[in-house]
Amino acid sequence: MTTSAQIAVGGVRLTKRGSMRRDRRRALFLSYAFLGLFVVFFLTPPIYMLITSLKTSAEISAASNPWWVFKPTLQNYIELLTSSTYLTFFRNSAVVSLLVVVITMMVSIPAAFSLSRMKFWGSAALATGVFLTYLIPPELLFIPLFKTFAFLRAATGIEFINHWWILVIIYPTLTIPFCTWIMIGYFGSIPKELDEAALIDGAGYVQLLTRIFIPVALPGIIAATIFAFTVSWAAFLYPLAFTTSTDQLVLPVGVVTTLIKGDVFNWGQIMTGALLGAAPPLIIYAFLMDYYIAGLTAGATKG
Amino acid sequence: MPSNNFNRRRFLATSVAGSVAVAAPYVLTSCATRKLSVGFWDHWVPGANDVLTKLTNEWAAQEKIDLKIDYITSQGNKILLTIAAEAQAKSGHDVLAFPTWYAAAQAKNLEPMDDVMQPLIAQNGDVVAVTEYLGKQDGHWLGVPATPGSQVKGPCARIDLFKQHVELDLTKMYPPGAPADKAMTDHWTWDAFLVAAEKCFKAGYPFGLGLGETTDSVDWVGSLFAAYGAQLVDAKGNITVNSDATKQVLEYAKRLVPFLPPDVFAWDDASNNKWLIAGKGALIMNPPSAWAVAKRDNPQVAEQLWTFPSPKGPKGRYEPGLPYFWGVWKFANNKAAAKSLLTYLSQRSVVEQLVQASGGYDIPSFSGLRDFKIWAEQGPPKGTLYNYPPRNDEIVWIAASPAPTPIAMQIYAQATSTKMIAKITQGGESIDKAIAWAASELEGFMRV
Amino acid sequence: MVDAVAVRRQVHRSTGRTSAKSFARRKSTIALVMALPLILCIGLLVVYPSLYAVYLATLNKSMERFVGLGNFAFLFTRETFWMVVRQSAIFAVSAVFFKALIGFCVAHFVHNVPTKGQRKWRGMLLVPWVIPPAMSTLAWLWLFDPSYSAFNWILQQMGIGAVPWLGDPYWARFAVILVNVWFGAPFFMIMYLAALKSVPEQLYEAAAIDGANWWQKLWFVTLPMMRNIIAITVLFSLIVTFANFDIVRVLTNGGPVDQTHVFATWAFKLGIESNDIPLGACVSLFMFPILAVAAIFILRGINRRGNEA
Repeated sequence: MTTSAQIAVGGVRLTKRGSMRRDRRRALFLSYAFLGLFVVFFLTPPIYMLITSLKTSAEISAASNPWWVFKPTLQNYIELLTSSTYLTFFRNSAVVSLLVVVITMMVSIPAAFSLSRMKFWGSAALATGVFLTYLIPPELLFIPLFKTFAFLRAATGIEFINHWWILVIIYPTLTIPFCTWIMIGYFGSIPKELDEAALIDGAGYVQLLTRIFIPVALPGIIAATIFAFTVSWAAFLYPLAFTTSTDQLVLPVGVVTTLIKGDVFNWGQIMTGALLGAAPPLIIYAFLMDYYIAGLTAGATKG
Repeated sequence: MPSNNFNRRRFLATSVAGSVAVAAPYVLTSCATRKLSVGFWDHWVPGANDVLTKLTNEWAAQEKIDLKIDYITSQGNKILLTIAAEAQAKSGHDVLAFPTWYAAAQAKNLEPMDDVMQPLIAQNGDVVAVTEYLGKQDGHWLGVPATPGSQVKGPCARIDLFKQHVELDLTKMYPPGAPADKAMTDHWTWDAFLVAAEKCFKAGYPFGLGLGETTDSVDWVGSLFAAYGAQLVDAKGNITVNSDATKQVLEYAKRLVPFLPPDVFAWDDASNNKWLIAGKGALIMNPPSAWAVAKRDNPQVAEQLWTFPSPKGPKGRYEPGLPYFWGVWKFANNKAAAKSLLTYLSQRSVVEQLVQASGGYDIPSFSGLRDFKIWAEQGPPKGTLYNYPPRNDEIVWIAASPAPTPIAMQIYAQATSTKMIAKITQGGESIDKAIAWAASELEGFMRV
Repeated sequence: MVDAVAVRRQVHRSTGRTSAKSFARRKSTIALVMALPLILCIGLLVVYPSLYAVYLATLNKSMERFVGLGNFAFLFTRETFWMVVRQSAIFAVSAVFFKALIGFCVAHFVHNVPTKGQRKWRGMLLVPWVIPPAMSTLAWLWLFDPSYSAFNWILQQMGIGAVPWLGDPYWARFAVILVNVWFGAPFFMIMYLAALKSVPEQLYEAAAIDGANWWQKLWFVTLPMMRNIIAITVLFSLIVTFANFDIVRVLTNGGPVDQTHVFATWAFKLGIESNDIPLGACVSLFMFPILAVAAIFILRGINRRGNEA
């Protein structure tokens, strides 16, 4: 089939070269035009945040042209970057997110492998059931969870609530179900011949997972990592409910609770805090996305 | 589990000690370690928290208590989340700050404070009626009125705009440092308010009165209703919304709303501040936070701001008030220390320092503590806050009182009065239809 | 392939029944051990609290009596509740539809662009999803602010009047859906982009030979290959959007007059602010049976399609 298609494709190219190039150019032009439109839509708020972050509080209140900065100042940035409170938020967010990503991967990957490849009693139900965990919203779960941790404190003496490590325990409930599902999808697309070949060679299931599945499904793993990191970095309700002291807060809650007091909003600093807070995920994505897409493209041409 | 090294007696001793510890952990820890964990409201005035920390630490050093202080913000309703979670988990801080309704809501989980309040009332004077309404349930005090956070939401208006367009000199009607001008204040009624609103609207500086569902909106509407004697639910729990007084106040609101900005129905607590600070409005109903921010961001506007009492209605002059309380959970470890702390924090000298630190924003609930100098000194313009604490014929009130607190709390949280006004104006419904809708909502609030 | 399996079976049979049994046992035990952390995590931190939350929903307001489904019966008589149901449904369905549509279109355009340039387009288009929603919603709040709206400033410069973005019920609903679509579309874009890249080129070329235009290629090649991923992302987004809390809370807090309330914000208002936790729990759980049934059907369809492939 492959050879005949190639010949046919070659034939088409020879005879219809001119019209294809014109079509291709038109398609490209349309693509760029629409992409430009969407970029404007997607990037208007962040650009506005940037503009506002360069303004002083007085200029913001004066309600002059909101799209231009008349007296640009880096004061907001300096204040936040030299504030130990803000840097603590950053550190807490980074530590929590990294730990959560590691835990999520350590739980999701074996579980996805087990659920997609090794059927055991109840595995199908478990796979579906895992997905259903998203149906109970955090707004409802935090009260029973609070009770659970209070009970744990009474039983073990370890203080969980109002410490950042409680988030490392709770966040995985937000990330593991979807990551498991992504991985089940990716593992499912790996041909079974690979399993058989490895098993004949005497590999155990653990080696099958580590030596074969993980490298082949790397784009999927990276996709799951991206997802887990984003969700951990952005989580708001759980840290709001479970952490109180300023040195235990993570970034989203920290920005909102320290920069908005009562009915007084410090818009310049809030926008600055938000932009600085969005920088790490963006940088990480800039690196990971290339590997992710490269891995996918490689897989596509191979298949 | 005993190891083989314990001899029999030691085994018995440890197991007895262990069971006592399990059975009465709080007693042991309070005697052994003298700890207290406190959750205060996170004050928006920079530096106010530090003063409270300093004062509390002084007390802790004196009493040799190991103190842990947390400042809990009202952003995202975190303080409500904390109260709900700690009540459910029966574990958390010993002393916690409770806004307005939430001490009454947790009545069965809070330690009675009568033994603290009786001497305080004897010492500091009576509390205003609204504090008693919110803080006392079934004859027992559930908390001590907290100074940080307790506020009053009267009008804050532009002196220059009122002089120019309304021909009313606010500084003469409510002068700084002197009694109010009786003739002028007698004329400061809701009808005069309506006339002023129209004049300012026509001059391009409308009043910024929110009609959303946040506390700023609910509070001023509540005192409007009270001024006309319109009660949604009476003190016995009967639904009395379908009354002439209600119809009268809704007619009034219908005449007032056209003079307000068109999007007041979505205003939150910060919207009216922004309206005033941007120089767009002539009057808002707000505590002095707007003036304080204007001082920093728009001094020309701040110089012209004056805070003074609400207008008078047929049934009196009602001022929206929001007291905070400090309560002690029933499951708290160290109740004696908690009560001692709350008594200390309500002493005159301490209260004065707290009010000073807040720049005059906090208003103590005890009548004998309303004469501090700070309010006369704040400026510019000097004396702008002199008429902020209620001094004259104002009745400090909270929307939906005097209904029983479980019902009133729902009326307040779900902004029933404000929604009625929104329905007859933005919604274009008739007054009778709005009242019928409110009656069905109120029936739902009667749920037990 | 069949020979290898038969050979393996023969090998094991020859070494005796006990090692065959132990092998079988080993496989399922390994499977269970690998899935155990997942089971524990979900069991302790999600299933148990959920059951407790369901229990809370069956108590009376003061949480002293068991009333079974009485809270639901009460809720069904409230006019506001049905308004919230309608609003949540419109919000979730339209937001997910637009997110999927925009994500799909943008993924296509990015895919068309030469690979070298794709990186920067991808980066730019991913930004909304990367900013924590608690903070990007604040930026939108500022953009829609009654006094300071930057959009209104532009409109006023052009001579059109200011729009009450958050004050008028219809504009407020539009604003909430807009922010949700803005935030969620990039997620759909990366998922669909990955799926697009894994559709083999030969299929498109074969279709081109058969004379298919771009629309037919889309309908007969692309969409069937992407059916699974479309189903999963739509299902996931529907579930998460129905439960959305932050956007409505920050932008409108349910107003004006409750006309932008969704389940999560209404549950918060009833449960925490009005101090009726059982009723709030009921509102939160209302969509659970409906979404659970939808999820089970869709996931079963995916599984079946996966097994057939």
